[in-house]
Amino acid sequence: MEQRKHVECKNYIHIDVDKGMCALTKQFVPMDGEGSLACPKFVPMPSCGNCKNFKNPDNYGIGTCHGLAKVDWAYSTCGAQGCEGYHEGK
Amino acid sequence: MKTTNEEKMQEILKQRGIAMHEVENFDKKDVPPPHDSFTKIMDIYWDVKISIDMEDPYWYNRVWWENDGDVLIVRRAKAMAAALSHGTPTILPHEKLVMQKTKNFRGAFPYPWVTASFFNKVAENLMAQVDAPAECEADMVSQVGAGGGNVCQNYGNVISIAKKFGCRKEDIPILVKISKNWDGISVEELSYKYAKMMPDYDLFQKVMDSVICMLDSYTIPQGREIINYYLPLEYGFDGLIKICDEKIAETMGEAGTDGVYGMDHGFYYVAMKEICKGMSKWCENYANRAAYLATIETDPKQKAEYLEIVKVMNNIAHKRPANFREALQLTLCCHFGVVNEDPMSGMSIGRIGQVLQPYFEKDMREGVTTEDEVLELLELYRIKITALEIFASAGVTGGVLSGNTFNNLSIGGLNKDGSSAVTPLEYLIVEAGMRAKTPEPTLSVLYDEKLQEDFVMKCALCTKLGFGYPAWMSNQCGMNFMLRNYSDEGMDLVEARAWCLGGCLESSPGSFQPLHYDGKVTWIPGGAGPTASTGVHFIALPKVLELTLTNGYDHRMKRQILPAHNKKLKTYEDVLEQFKTYMRAIGIAVNKANNIQMDIWRKYNMPVVHSLLKANCFEVGLDIGKGGSLYTATINYETTGQVNLVNSLASLKKNVFDDKKYSLEEMTDAMIHNFGYKTAWETQVFSLDTKVATAETDKYAKIYADCVNAPKYGNDDDYADSIYVDFQDYFPKMVHELTSFYGKPLYLCQISVSTHGPQGMITIASPDGRLAGLTFADATVSAAAGTDKEGVYALMNSATKWDHSINQNSQLNLKLSPNAVKGYQGTKNLLELIRSYMRRGGFHVQFNVVDSDTLRKAQKEPTQYRDLMVRVAGFTQYWCEIGKSIQDEVIYRTEYENC
Repeated sequence: MEQRKHVECKNYIHIDVDKGMCALTKQFVPMDGEGSLACPKFVPMPSCGNCKNFKNPDNYGIGTCHGLAKVDWAYSTCGAQGCEGYHEGK
Repeated sequence: MKTTNEEKMQEILKQRGIAMHEVENFDKKDVPPPHDSFTKIMDIYWDVKISIDMEDPYWYNRVWWENDGDVLIVRRAKAMAAALSHGTPTILPHEKLVMQKTKNFRGAFPYPWVTASFFNKVAENLMAQVDAPAECEADMVSQVGAGGGNVCQNYGNVISIAKKFGCRKEDIPILVKISKNWDGISVEELSYKYAKMMPDYDLFQKVMDSVICMLDSYTIPQGREIINYYLPLEYGFDGLIKICDEKIAETMGEAGTDGVYGMDHGFYYVAMKEICKGMSKWCENYANRAAYLATIETDPKQKAEYLEIVKVMNNIAHKRPANFREALQLTLCCHFGVVNEDPMSGMSIGRIGQVLQPYFEKDMREGVTTEDEVLELLELYRIKITALEIFASAGVTGGVLSGNTFNNLSIGGLNKDGSSAVTPLEYLIVEAGMRAKTPEPTLSVLYDEKLQEDFVMKCALCTKLGFGYPAWMSNQCGMNFMLRNYSDEGMDLVEARAWCLGGCLESSPGSFQPLHYDGKVTWIPGGAGPTASTGVHFIALPKVLELTLTNGYDHRMKRQILPAHNKKLKTYEDVLEQFKTYMRAIGIAVNKANNIQMDIWRKYNMPVVHSLLKANCFEVGLDIGKGGSLYTATINYETTGQVNLVNSLASLKKNVFDDKKYSLEEMTDAMIHNFGYKTAWETQVFSLDTKVATAETDKYAKIYADCVNAPKYGNDDDYADSIYVDFQDYFPKMVHELTSFYGKPLYLCQISVSTHGPQGMITIASPDGRLAGLTFADATVSAAAGTDKEGVYALMNSATKWDHSINQNSQLNLKLSPNAVKGYQGTKNLLELIRSYMRRGGFHVQFNVVDSDTLRKAQKEPTQYRDLMVRVAGFTQYWCEIGKSIQDEVIYRTEYENC
């Protein structure tokens, strides 16, 4: 099973393109490389990538969204906290 | 021995809790530190990279295309509402005010529907891991500061875009996919398609290629104007939605007597309802995020903070604000909403200290808050505004803006009834600016003789700290310009008082609107006109003079740029006449092309969030593009290098035509050969701080000395000054002959922002002794560095020989040695200097209070001076994020040892 990263966690606070902050520890956490893997307190952040209405992503993470009135493309790392069609399912 | 005036001053200060000895010995170290929350968040800021992501563009693009075929304004509103309400909400620990442009702290995003060709060309190269070519000549000559948050190079999984923005590799395919949708139909491409039908398109293209004109209007189609927060404060989002429903019922299908726009009213209100719903949901998203963070937070104090945010955000998602904190938060929501709808620079906050005074007053009276709590919020507000970024090309972000977004906060001025508009809240705004050192919002004092003495003393104390703010503007001069420019549209003296600064120094019209709160009506000022820019963007005047002398041939680009005039220029008047001929032709071509750009923009990309807010749009049911705002004669014509032009004309007149020492051909030859020195492109020093001789230096030594020693503007010498007076007579009239896409005359705007850097870089040596590639003199009435030899009052005499209210502005930057403003007497002298200038008719003055040695050290070791800020031209910016050509110019500015 693929190891999840901090950036995929609901406790992750976005800072910039290479790091964020953990809402629990208040420490910077990197998006890549050493120290980027999630801890045991991981909670999945709503995103297209872990929505059950998101299908068939390609190697760029671009797939199809079936969660809203019209089917359209979407991308796996797009945040879905504000999406009315989001259903956690992966 | 104390004088009566000093005793009076002591009494005033005593009433404000300021002891005299504190003022006499006032120094930076005496400023109380900011609140802990500010420091903790700034500790994060120092490590933040400027970042772009694709959430907003994705949602905008998706919903736009899902509504294909719908009425355009409704389609645009739905797309914009979707972008706002679907972005990931980010809340940092210690924040009390929330919301950001994007999920990233210093976040921005591209707008392929405005500019697609850049992304279609560059993004694919990025995908193939090939170094992206510069998008145009302006990008190649524009420098972005290499320090601070700028991402200048690729690293790891991050790609650098436009020399400033970091973008995740995984977002590049998203960018490419979205951009392809807009291939050929973005505002940019559609504009160029129709601009090619202009008979003078070739001239326009050459003017842009050579950077005679700095940028196109579509790159930043909004901004340089004042926002308006009135409607959400007065009604709340639910209240506005209710009004929209009523208006839809009233107007749908009813043209009335307006056969052109009558039917648009109904669609406008449908669109505004979508926007209100989107903004409301956006606030709720933040409430939900804060609620989640509260559930996992173990620190009781932080948990309580998150729960307070939940309450504030849930309230303002629907209702009118109930207190100061909610009102301030709501203004932030509106501000971010507007700056998200277009690539935008200069969306000025306006006179927010007067807008929010009723809330502050009520809360203080009822014990809901304290001055200290409000001060903390104002400090945190400064971080929010400073973190605003704009995604645009390097030519725009570096070459024009130096990375700033110009959210100007004006203080002072007059109320509707003519009394001083200074409020107690504004004292705290200044105090926050003193304690919480950030470039934004910059502060601008609308100086009027009616302002309270202790207030202007406090502002002068803040100016002395050397952060570059507040700058000082003459309120009477600003009002006079308003009446000159907007009386045809119905502006009267009372409404003229509502003006303030858009962008860095773009005087913009306002209006007083009645806020019903706390059992009374307060007439609050807010923005009443669209962008006070977007006409002609920065014509490099010395470059046009250069081409006048070289028969239109650009020796730097090795190309014929302007049509050859083939005239023998036998007299000074011949030179001037040909210069004017070229300027007229350039102005016509560029204005027409920009009119096309702005017309395409308003047809397909009309402001929607902003059309909800701008005074009068909601009342009449028309968006800004269709002229819904109160005033539309706002479009300007910008120039740079004025003082170099004047000094060059003075040198030509003196050396060639009056004293007949050299022929025009000899002068031109010397310019082309850079007077025998190495160019700035070779030395990479952009001021006269360094001159490197070559084998040819001796050959041109005499002519160079005569050029350097020719009369110069800024010394109260009519020989040079009269040339400037003449320019201020003929040029505004020439500009006035051009009409905007609103069908109104343009007017002259004379600020450099940062364009004097790149546009100096493309100009060869000039007859004033400026060497090739050197940055122009900054601003409008600042002397060229080192040429003002008769002191600051002589400079001010030179600067006030014409009526500053003829044009949108004039700009004067002064660099003072810290010793010049030391102590109580130093503060008084500074204030007297400002007053003297304004009483003589000067419009604007701003100050750097820093010595050049510190700046030189900071240039060599930027990381040791991370928080050093300087005043450039209308804005304050972190030193390490400014490009070298501007850094060199600021270092070299004349430093006054006393005032």
